[in-house]
Amino acid sequence: MSVLGRRTAVATFLRSFVVQGSWNYNTMLGSGFAFALLPGLRRIYADDPEAYQEAVRRHLEHFNAHPYLAGIALGATLRLEDEGAPPETVQRFKAAVRGPLGSLGDQLVWATWLPLVAVVCLVLYWTGAPGLWVVACFLVLYNVGHLGLRIWGLRTGLEAGRNVARRLGGAGLDRKALRLHPVGALAVGALAGTLAGGRGGLAEVGWSWAAVGAVAFVVGLVWGHRAWRPAAVMTVGVVVVISLLGGLP
Amino acid sequence: MELLRLSVLGGLLALDGTAVGQFMLSRPLVAGTLAGWLLGDAGTGLAVGAVLELYLLVSFPTGGARFPEGSTATVVAAGTAAAIGGPGALPLGVALGLLWGHLAGATVTLLRRVNARLVPGPETAASDVHLTRAHGVAVVLDFVRGTLVTGSGLAVGRLALGPAATAWPLGREDSMALVLVGGVVSAGILLHDFGGVRAQRVWFLAGLLLGVLVPRLL
Repeated sequence: MSVLGRRTAVATFLRSFVVQGSWNYNTMLGSGFAFALLPGLRRIYADDPEAYQEAVRRHLEHFNAHPYLAGIALGATLRLEDEGAPPETVQRFKAAVRGPLGSLGDQLVWATWLPLVAVVCLVLYWTGAPGLWVVACFLVLYNVGHLGLRIWGLRTGLEAGRNVARRLGGAGLDRKALRLHPVGALAVGALAGTLAGGRGGLAEVGWSWAAVGAVAFVVGLVWGHRAWRPAAVMTVGVVVVISLLGGLP
Repeated sequence: MELLRLSVLGGLLALDGTAVGQFMLSRPLVAGTLAGWLLGDAGTGLAVGAVLELYLLVSFPTGGARFPEGSTATVVAAGTAAAIGGPGALPLGVALGLLWGHLAGATVTLLRRVNARLVPGPETAASDVHLTRAHGVAVVLDFVRGTLVTGSGLAVGRLALGPAATAWPLGREDSMALVLVGGVVSAGILLHDFGGVRAQRVWFLAGLLLGVLVPRLL
Protein backbone atom coordinates (compact mmCIF):
# COMPACT_ATOMS: atom_id res chain seq x y z
CA MET A 1 0.00 0.00 0.00
CA SER A 2 3.10 2.21 -0.20
CA VAL A 3 2.59 5.79 1.02
CA LEU A 4 -1.11 5.21 1.51
CA GLY A 5 -0.92 2.87 4.52
CA ARG A 6 -3.60 1.22 6.61
CA ARG A 7 -4.95 4.41 8.19
CA THR A 8 -5.60 6.00 4.82
CA ALA A 9 -7.29 2.83 3.60
CA VAL A 10 -9.58 2.81 6.65
CA ALA A 11 -10.38 6.54 6.23
CA THR A 12 -11.21 5.98 2.54
CA PHE A 13 -13.32 2.96 3.43
CA LEU A 14 -15.34 4.95 6.00
CA ARG A 15 -15.82 7.83 3.56
CA SER A 16 -17.01 5.38 0.90
CA PHE A 17 -20.20 4.99 2.99
CA VAL A 18 -21.14 8.59 2.11
CA VAL A 19 -19.98 8.46 -1.49
CA GLN A 20 -23.55 9.23 -2.61
CA GLY A 21 -24.01 12.05 -0.07
CA SER A 22 -24.08 14.81 -2.68
CA TRP A 23 -25.39 12.78 -5.65
CA ASN A 24 -26.48 15.22 -8.36
CA TYR A 25 -27.51 15.30 -12.01
CA ASN A 26 -24.33 17.06 -13.21
CA THR A 27 -21.49 14.95 -11.87
CA MET A 28 -23.55 12.16 -10.27
CA LEU A 29 -21.15 10.45 -7.83
CA GLY A 30 -18.27 12.79 -8.80
CA SER A 31 -18.22 15.04 -5.73
CA GLY A 32 -18.72 12.11 -3.33
CA PHE A 33 -15.93 10.23 -5.06
CA ALA A 34 -13.56 13.18 -4.66
CA PHE A 35 -14.64 13.54 -1.02
CA ALA A 36 -13.78 9.88 -0.34
CA LEU A 37 -10.39 10.32 -2.03
CA LEU A 38 -9.34 13.28 0.15
CA PRO A 39 -7.41 11.36 2.88
CA GLY A 40 -5.42 9.48 0.24
CA LEU A 41 -4.74 12.52 -1.94
CA ARG A 42 -3.67 14.52 1.12
CA ARG A 43 -1.13 11.79 1.90
CA ILE A 44 0.13 11.39 -1.66
CA TYR A 45 0.55 15.15 -2.22
CA ALA A 46 1.66 15.92 1.36
CA ASP A 47 4.67 17.91 0.12
CA ASP A 48 2.87 19.86 -2.58
CA PRO A 49 -0.33 21.69 -1.50
CA GLU A 50 -0.85 23.14 -5.00
CA ALA A 51 -0.73 19.69 -6.62
CA TYR A 52 -3.08 18.41 -3.92
CA GLN A 53 -5.74 21.04 -4.63
CA GLU A 54 -5.30 20.47 -8.35
CA ALA A 55 -5.84 16.72 -7.84
CA VAL A 56 -9.02 17.43 -5.79
CA ARG A 57 -10.38 19.57 -8.65
CA ARG A 58 -9.56 16.89 -11.24
CA HIS A 59 -11.57 14.29 -9.33
CA LEU A 60 -14.65 16.50 -9.13
CA GLU A 61 -15.50 15.39 -12.68
CA HIS A 62 -18.48 13.20 -13.57
CA PHE A 63 -18.31 9.71 -12.16
CA ASN A 64 -20.81 7.00 -11.43
CA ALA A 65 -20.74 3.47 -10.05
CA HIS A 66 -22.74 1.25 -7.78
CA PRO A 67 -22.04 2.62 -4.27
CA TYR A 68 -20.88 -0.75 -2.92
CA LEU A 69 -18.43 -1.20 -5.80
CA ALA A 70 -17.21 2.41 -5.83
CA GLY A 71 -14.46 1.24 -3.46
CA ILE A 72 -12.85 -0.67 -6.34
CA ALA A 73 -12.50 2.57 -8.30
CA LEU A 74 -11.46 4.52 -5.18
CA GLY A 75 -8.70 2.06 -4.35
CA ALA A 76 -7.43 1.76 -7.91
CA THR A 77 -7.50 5.55 -8.42
CA LEU A 78 -5.48 6.12 -5.25
CA ARG A 79 -3.00 3.49 -6.37
CA LEU A 80 -2.64 5.20 -9.77
CA GLU A 81 -2.19 8.61 -8.13
CA ASP A 82 0.35 7.11 -5.75
CA GLU A 83 2.31 5.64 -8.66
CA GLY A 84 2.42 9.08 -10.27
CA ALA A 85 0.27 8.17 -13.27
CA PRO A 86 -0.48 11.16 -15.57
CA PRO A 87 -3.89 12.81 -14.94
CA GLU A 88 -5.12 11.74 -18.41
CA THR A 89 -4.41 8.10 -17.56
CA VAL A 90 -6.35 8.37 -14.28
CA GLN A 91 -9.20 10.08 -16.11
CA ARG A 92 -9.30 7.39 -18.82
CA PHE A 93 -9.23 4.68 -16.15
CA LYS A 94 -12.19 6.19 -14.30
CA ALA A 95 -14.15 6.58 -17.53
CA ALA A 96 -13.47 2.94 -18.40
CA VAL A 97 -14.60 1.42 -15.09
CA ARG A 98 -17.66 3.53 -14.26
CA GLY A 99 -20.04 1.70 -16.63
CA PRO A 100 -19.13 -1.87 -15.59
CA LEU A 101 -19.07 -0.97 -11.88
CA GLY A 102 -22.57 0.48 -12.19
CA SER A 103 -24.22 -2.32 -14.14
CA LEU A 104 -22.43 -5.11 -12.28
CA GLY A 105 -23.47 -3.69 -8.90
CA ASP A 106 -27.06 -3.14 -10.00
CA GLN A 107 -27.28 -6.71 -11.24
CA LEU A 108 -25.56 -8.30 -8.25
CA VAL A 109 -26.92 -6.19 -5.39
CA TRP A 110 -30.16 -4.42 -6.36
CA ALA A 111 -31.55 -7.07 -8.69
CA THR A 112 -30.35 -10.20 -6.89
CA TRP A 113 -28.97 -9.98 -3.34
CA LEU A 114 -31.40 -7.42 -1.88
CA PRO A 115 -34.64 -8.99 -3.23
CA LEU A 116 -33.40 -12.49 -2.40
CA VAL A 117 -32.72 -11.64 1.26
CA ALA A 118 -35.96 -9.63 1.50
CA VAL A 119 -38.05 -12.49 0.07
CA VAL A 120 -36.48 -15.03 2.43
CA CYS A 121 -37.31 -12.77 5.39
CA LEU A 122 -40.85 -12.11 4.12
CA VAL A 123 -41.38 -15.88 3.96
CA LEU A 124 -40.17 -16.11 7.56
CA TYR A 125 -42.57 -13.33 8.56
CA TRP A 126 -45.61 -14.89 6.89
CA THR A 127 -44.82 -18.31 8.32
CA GLY A 128 -45.07 -16.80 11.79
CA ALA A 129 -41.43 -16.21 12.81
CA PRO A 130 -41.04 -13.61 15.61
CA GLY A 131 -40.92 -10.07 14.21
CA LEU A 132 -37.66 -9.05 15.84
CA TRP A 133 -36.02 -12.22 14.54
CA VAL A 134 -37.21 -11.47 10.99
CA VAL A 135 -35.82 -7.93 11.04
CA ALA A 136 -32.52 -9.03 12.62
CA CYS A 137 -32.18 -11.83 10.08
CA PHE A 138 -32.74 -9.36 7.23
CA LEU A 139 -30.18 -6.84 8.48
CA VAL A 140 -27.48 -9.39 9.37
CA LEU A 141 -27.83 -11.51 6.24
CA TYR A 142 -27.98 -8.53 3.90
CA ASN A 143 -25.09 -6.67 5.48
CA VAL A 144 -22.78 -9.68 5.52
CA GLY A 145 -22.94 -9.50 1.72
CA HIS A 146 -22.93 -5.68 1.66
CA LEU A 147 -19.91 -5.13 3.91
CA GLY A 148 -18.04 -8.09 2.44
CA LEU A 149 -18.42 -6.58 -1.01
CA ARG A 150 -17.29 -3.13 0.12
CA ILE A 151 -14.20 -4.47 1.93
CA TRP A 152 -13.27 -6.76 -0.97
CA GLY A 153 -13.78 -3.90 -3.45
CA LEU A 154 -11.50 -1.36 -1.78
CA ARG A 155 -8.83 -3.97 -1.06
CA THR A 156 -8.92 -5.22 -4.64
CA GLY A 157 -8.68 -1.68 -6.01
CA LEU A 158 -5.72 -0.77 -3.79
CA GLU A 159 -3.89 -3.98 -4.63
CA ALA A 160 -4.59 -4.20 -8.35
CA GLY A 161 -4.46 -0.53 -9.40
CA ARG A 162 -4.71 -0.27 -13.17
CA ASN A 163 -5.13 -4.07 -13.44
CA VAL A 164 -8.34 -3.98 -11.48
CA ALA A 165 -10.45 -4.83 -14.55
CA ARG A 166 -8.68 -8.18 -14.86
CA ARG A 167 -9.23 -8.91 -11.15
CA LEU A 168 -12.86 -7.90 -11.47
CA GLY A 169 -13.34 -10.21 -14.45
CA GLY A 170 -11.64 -13.04 -12.58
CA ALA A 171 -13.93 -12.59 -9.58
CA GLY A 172 -16.92 -13.44 -11.80
CA LEU A 173 -19.44 -11.33 -9.91
CA ASP A 174 -21.91 -11.52 -12.80
CA ARG A 175 -21.73 -15.33 -12.79
CA LYS A 176 -22.23 -15.33 -9.02
CA ALA A 177 -25.40 -13.24 -9.44
CA LEU A 178 -26.71 -15.66 -12.07
CA ARG A 179 -25.93 -18.60 -9.79
CA LEU A 180 -28.19 -17.08 -7.14
CA HIS A 181 -31.18 -16.91 -9.51
CA PRO A 182 -32.39 -20.50 -8.87
CA VAL A 183 -32.23 -19.79 -5.13
CA GLY A 184 -34.21 -16.62 -5.79
CA ALA A 185 -36.82 -18.57 -7.78
CA LEU A 186 -37.09 -21.07 -4.91
CA ALA A 187 -37.62 -18.20 -2.45
CA VAL A 188 -40.23 -16.52 -4.68
CA GLY A 189 -42.02 -19.87 -4.97
CA ALA A 190 -42.02 -20.22 -1.19
CA LEU A 191 -43.34 -16.66 -0.83
CA ALA A 192 -46.12 -17.27 -3.38
CA GLY A 193 -47.01 -20.57 -1.69
CA THR A 194 -47.10 -18.98 1.77
CA LEU A 195 -49.20 -16.02 0.65
CA ALA A 196 -51.63 -18.15 -1.35
CA GLY A 197 -51.97 -21.42 0.49
CA GLY A 198 -50.13 -21.04 3.78
CA ARG A 199 -51.74 -20.66 7.19
CA GLY A 200 -53.84 -17.47 7.09
CA GLY A 201 -53.03 -17.09 3.38
CA LEU A 202 -55.34 -15.80 0.64
CA ALA A 203 -56.99 -19.21 0.14
CA GLU A 204 -58.06 -19.31 3.78
CA VAL A 205 -59.62 -15.86 3.52
CA GLY A 206 -61.53 -16.94 0.41
CA TRP A 207 -60.82 -18.81 -2.81
CA SER A 208 -61.81 -15.73 -4.80
CA TRP A 209 -58.91 -13.84 -3.13
CA ALA A 210 -56.53 -16.69 -4.03
CA ALA A 211 -57.74 -16.59 -7.64
CA VAL A 212 -57.23 -12.80 -7.87
CA GLY A 213 -53.79 -13.26 -6.28
CA ALA A 214 -52.87 -15.88 -8.89
CA VAL A 215 -53.92 -13.51 -11.68
CA ALA A 216 -51.86 -10.70 -10.09
CA PHE A 217 -48.81 -12.98 -9.94
CA VAL A 218 -49.17 -13.92 -13.63
CA VAL A 219 -49.57 -10.24 -14.56
CA GLY A 220 -46.23 -9.47 -12.84
CA LEU A 221 -44.58 -12.48 -14.42
CA VAL A 222 -45.68 -11.62 -17.95
CA TRP A 223 -45.39 -7.82 -17.89
CA GLY A 224 -42.31 -7.57 -15.70
CA HIS A 225 -41.48 -4.14 -14.30
CA ARG A 226 -44.16 -2.46 -16.45
CA ALA A 227 -46.76 -4.03 -14.14
CA TRP A 228 -45.43 -2.48 -10.94
CA ARG A 229 -46.79 1.05 -11.15
CA PRO A 230 -50.29 0.07 -12.41
CA ALA A 231 -50.53 -2.45 -9.54
CA ALA A 232 -49.64 0.20 -6.96
CA VAL A 233 -52.02 2.75 -8.51
CA MET A 234 -54.81 0.17 -8.62
CA THR A 235 -54.30 -0.72 -4.95
CA VAL A 236 -54.50 2.93 -3.94
CA GLY A 237 -57.59 3.40 -6.16
CA VAL A 238 -59.40 0.37 -4.74
CA VAL A 239 -58.68 1.44 -1.15
CA VAL A 240 -60.00 4.94 -1.90
CA VAL A 241 -63.19 3.55 -3.53
CA ILE A 242 -63.84 1.15 -0.63
CA SER A 243 -63.30 3.99 1.85
CA LEU A 244 -65.82 6.15 0.00
CA LEU A 245 -68.34 3.30 -0.21
CA GLY A 246 -67.89 2.60 3.48
CA GLY A 247 -68.71 6.21 4.26
CA LEU A 248 -72.05 6.03 2.44
CA PRO A 249 -75.10 5.85 4.66
CA MET B 1 -43.67 15.07 20.37
CA GLU B 2 -44.62 11.73 18.84
CA LEU B 3 -44.87 13.32 15.36
CA LEU B 4 -41.48 14.95 15.83
CA ARG B 5 -39.82 11.68 16.84
CA LEU B 6 -41.32 9.86 13.87
CA SER B 7 -40.34 12.69 11.51
CA VAL B 8 -36.72 12.58 12.73
CA LEU B 9 -36.76 8.80 12.29
CA GLY B 10 -37.98 9.36 8.72
CA GLY B 11 -35.14 11.84 8.13
CA LEU B 12 -32.51 9.44 9.47
CA LEU B 13 -33.84 6.50 7.48
CA ALA B 14 -34.04 8.64 4.34
CA LEU B 15 -30.28 9.20 4.72
CA ASP B 16 -29.69 5.45 4.78
CA GLY B 17 -31.69 5.15 1.54
CA THR B 18 -29.00 6.76 -0.60
CA ALA B 19 -26.74 9.32 1.04
CA VAL B 20 -25.27 7.54 4.06
CA GLY B 21 -24.44 3.89 4.47
CA GLN B 22 -27.18 2.03 2.63
CA PHE B 23 -27.31 -0.64 5.34
CA MET B 24 -30.95 -1.10 4.33
CA LEU B 25 -32.31 0.19 7.61
CA SER B 26 -34.40 2.21 5.18
CA ARG B 27 -36.18 -0.86 3.75
CA PRO B 28 -39.88 -1.03 4.71
CA LEU B 29 -39.41 -4.21 6.76
CA VAL B 30 -37.03 -2.40 9.12
CA ALA B 31 -38.48 1.13 8.87
CA GLY B 32 -42.00 -0.10 9.66
CA THR B 33 -40.83 -2.01 12.72
CA LEU B 34 -38.85 0.97 14.02
CA ALA B 35 -41.77 3.36 13.49
CA GLY B 36 -44.17 0.96 15.18
CA TRP B 37 -41.76 0.44 18.05
CA LEU B 38 -41.53 4.22 18.59
CA LEU B 39 -45.32 4.24 18.88
CA GLY B 40 -45.40 1.21 21.16
CA ASP B 41 -46.93 -1.00 18.45
CA ALA B 42 -44.08 -2.78 16.68
CA GLY B 43 -46.48 -5.49 15.43
CA THR B 44 -48.58 -3.08 13.35
CA GLY B 45 -45.41 -1.38 12.13
CA LEU B 46 -43.93 -4.67 10.99
CA ALA B 47 -47.20 -5.71 9.30
CA VAL B 48 -47.29 -2.46 7.31
CA GLY B 49 -43.55 -2.75 6.60
CA ALA B 50 -43.88 -6.35 5.37
CA VAL B 51 -46.69 -5.44 2.96
CA LEU B 52 -44.81 -2.39 1.64
CA GLU B 53 -41.62 -4.46 1.37
CA LEU B 54 -43.57 -6.83 -0.86
CA TYR B 55 -44.65 -3.89 -3.08
CA LEU B 56 -41.19 -2.33 -3.17
CA LEU B 57 -39.25 -5.57 -3.73
CA VAL B 58 -38.62 -4.55 -7.30
CA SER B 59 -37.94 -0.86 -6.70
CA PHE B 60 -34.24 -0.10 -6.35
CA PRO B 61 -32.26 3.14 -5.98
CA THR B 62 -30.41 2.63 -9.27
CA GLY B 63 -28.33 5.52 -10.58
CA GLY B 64 -30.36 8.50 -11.72
CA ALA B 65 -33.66 6.62 -11.86
CA ARG B 66 -36.68 8.12 -10.11
CA PHE B 67 -37.95 5.66 -7.53
CA PRO B 68 -40.51 5.71 -4.74
CA GLU B 69 -38.79 6.39 -1.43
CA GLY B 70 -39.62 3.43 0.79
CA SER B 71 -38.16 4.71 4.05
CA THR B 72 -40.21 7.88 4.59
CA ALA B 73 -43.26 6.25 2.98
CA THR B 74 -43.13 3.35 5.45
CA VAL B 75 -42.72 5.59 8.49
CA VAL B 76 -45.75 7.59 7.28
CA ALA B 77 -47.74 4.41 6.61
CA ALA B 78 -46.84 2.66 9.87
CA GLY B 79 -47.23 5.84 11.93
CA THR B 80 -50.68 6.44 10.46
CA ALA B 81 -51.83 2.81 10.73
CA ALA B 82 -50.76 2.57 14.38
CA ALA B 83 -52.54 5.83 15.18
CA ILE B 84 -55.89 5.20 13.47
CA GLY B 85 -56.28 1.49 14.39
CA GLY B 86 -59.06 -0.89 13.36
CA PRO B 87 -59.35 -3.22 10.34
CA GLY B 88 -58.89 -0.30 7.91
CA ALA B 89 -55.56 0.75 9.41
CA LEU B 90 -53.47 -1.59 7.27
CA PRO B 91 -54.99 -0.89 3.81
CA LEU B 92 -55.31 2.84 4.46
CA GLY B 93 -51.75 3.04 5.80
CA VAL B 94 -50.36 1.04 2.89
CA ALA B 95 -52.27 3.14 0.33
CA LEU B 96 -50.98 6.35 1.91
CA GLY B 97 -47.47 4.86 1.97
CA LEU B 98 -47.59 4.00 -1.74
CA LEU B 99 -48.82 7.49 -2.57
CA TRP B 100 -46.36 9.22 -0.27
CA GLY B 101 -43.46 7.14 -1.59
CA HIS B 102 -43.99 8.69 -5.02
CA LEU B 103 -44.21 12.22 -3.62
CA ALA B 104 -41.06 11.59 -1.58
CA GLY B 105 -39.35 10.28 -4.74
CA ALA B 106 -40.12 13.61 -6.42
CA THR B 107 -38.42 15.48 -3.56
CA VAL B 108 -35.32 13.27 -4.01
CA THR B 109 -35.21 14.40 -7.65
CA LEU B 110 -35.56 18.02 -6.54
CA LEU B 111 -32.74 17.68 -4.00
CA ARG B 112 -30.45 16.21 -6.64
CA ARG B 113 -31.07 19.31 -8.75
CA VAL B 114 -30.22 21.50 -5.76
CA ASN B 115 -27.06 19.43 -5.16
CA ALA B 116 -25.98 20.10 -8.75
CA ARG B 117 -25.83 23.83 -7.87
CA LEU B 118 -24.34 23.21 -4.46
CA VAL B 119 -21.32 21.03 -5.17
CA PRO B 120 -18.31 22.39 -7.04
CA GLY B 121 -17.49 21.05 -10.51
CA PRO B 122 -14.04 20.35 -11.97
CA GLU B 123 -14.02 23.69 -13.79
CA THR B 124 -14.35 25.70 -10.56
CA ALA B 125 -11.51 26.89 -8.36
CA ALA B 126 -12.80 24.71 -5.52
CA SER B 127 -10.64 23.54 -2.66
CA ASP B 128 -10.91 20.45 -0.45
CA VAL B 129 -12.53 22.62 2.25
CA HIS B 130 -15.17 23.84 -0.19
CA LEU B 131 -15.87 20.26 -1.31
CA THR B 132 -16.12 18.93 2.26
CA ARG B 133 -18.51 21.70 3.25
CA ALA B 134 -20.73 21.24 0.18
CA HIS B 135 -20.82 17.47 0.66
CA GLY B 136 -21.80 17.87 4.32
CA VAL B 137 -24.50 20.44 3.51
CA ALA B 138 -25.97 18.06 0.89
CA VAL B 139 -26.23 15.29 3.50
CA VAL B 140 -27.88 17.66 6.02
CA LEU B 141 -30.35 18.83 3.35
CA ASP B 142 -31.29 15.21 2.65
CA PHE B 143 -32.00 14.69 6.35
CA VAL B 144 -34.13 17.85 6.47
CA ARG B 145 -35.97 16.74 3.33
CA GLY B 146 -36.70 13.30 4.78
CA THR B 147 -37.87 14.81 8.07
CA LEU B 148 -40.23 17.28 6.38
CA VAL B 149 -41.61 14.68 3.97
CA THR B 150 -42.31 12.30 6.84
CA GLY B 151 -43.81 14.97 9.09
CA SER B 152 -46.16 16.26 6.40
CA GLY B 153 -47.20 12.72 5.45
CA LEU B 154 -48.02 11.86 9.05
CA ALA B 155 -50.04 15.05 9.46
CA VAL B 156 -52.03 14.36 6.29
CA GLY B 157 -52.54 10.73 7.28
CA ARG B 158 -53.86 11.48 10.74
CA LEU B 159 -56.11 14.30 9.61
CA ALA B 160 -57.54 12.65 6.51
CA LEU B 161 -57.60 8.95 7.29
CA GLY B 162 -59.09 8.90 10.78
CA PRO B 163 -62.71 9.24 9.53
CA ALA B 164 -62.02 6.80 6.67
CA ALA B 165 -60.79 4.19 9.16
CA THR B 166 -63.95 4.51 11.23
CA ALA B 167 -66.12 3.91 8.17
CA TRP B 168 -63.94 1.12 6.68
CA PRO B 169 -66.37 -1.70 5.76
CA LEU B 170 -64.06 -4.73 5.38
CA GLY B 171 -62.91 -7.04 8.14
CA ARG B 172 -59.26 -7.56 9.13
CA GLU B 173 -58.65 -10.67 6.96
CA ASP B 174 -60.24 -9.22 3.82
CA SER B 175 -58.30 -5.98 4.35
CA MET B 176 -55.01 -7.92 4.52
CA ALA B 177 -55.99 -9.95 1.43
CA LEU B 178 -56.78 -6.75 -0.46
CA VAL B 179 -53.31 -5.27 0.00
CA LEU B 180 -51.53 -8.61 -0.49
CA VAL B 181 -53.10 -9.13 -3.91
CA GLY B 182 -51.48 -5.94 -5.23
CA GLY B 183 -48.16 -6.89 -3.66
CA VAL B 184 -48.16 -10.33 -5.23
CA VAL B 185 -47.58 -8.60 -8.59
CA SER B 186 -44.05 -7.83 -7.33
CA ALA B 187 -43.44 -11.52 -6.63
CA GLY B 188 -44.35 -12.26 -10.25
CA ILE B 189 -42.02 -9.50 -11.46
CA LEU B 190 -39.23 -10.93 -9.33
CA LEU B 191 -39.64 -14.42 -10.79
CA HIS B 192 -39.53 -12.75 -14.21
CA ASP B 193 -36.20 -11.13 -13.19
CA PHE B 194 -34.82 -14.42 -11.88
CA GLY B 195 -35.27 -16.04 -15.29
CA GLY B 196 -39.01 -16.72 -15.57
CA VAL B 197 -41.10 -19.83 -15.04
CA ARG B 198 -39.71 -21.80 -17.99
CA ALA B 199 -36.08 -21.52 -16.88
CA GLN B 200 -36.71 -21.88 -13.14
CA ARG B 201 -39.83 -24.07 -13.05
CA VAL B 202 -38.30 -26.83 -10.89
CA TRP B 203 -37.01 -24.36 -8.29
CA PHE B 204 -40.17 -22.28 -8.34
CA LEU B 205 -42.48 -25.31 -7.95
CA ALA B 206 -40.30 -26.72 -5.16
CA GLY B 207 -40.55 -23.37 -3.37
CA LEU B 208 -44.30 -23.20 -3.95
CA LEU B 209 -44.74 -26.63 -2.39
CA LEU B 210 -42.56 -25.70 0.57
CA GLY B 211 -44.47 -22.46 1.03
CA VAL B 212 -47.82 -24.25 1.16
CA LEU B 213 -46.77 -27.27 3.24
CA VAL B 214 -44.16 -26.10 5.73
CA PRO B 215 -46.36 -23.54 7.59
CA ARG B 216 -49.07 -26.22 7.99
CA LEU B 217 -46.59 -28.74 9.37
CA LEU B 218 -44.99 -26.33 11.85
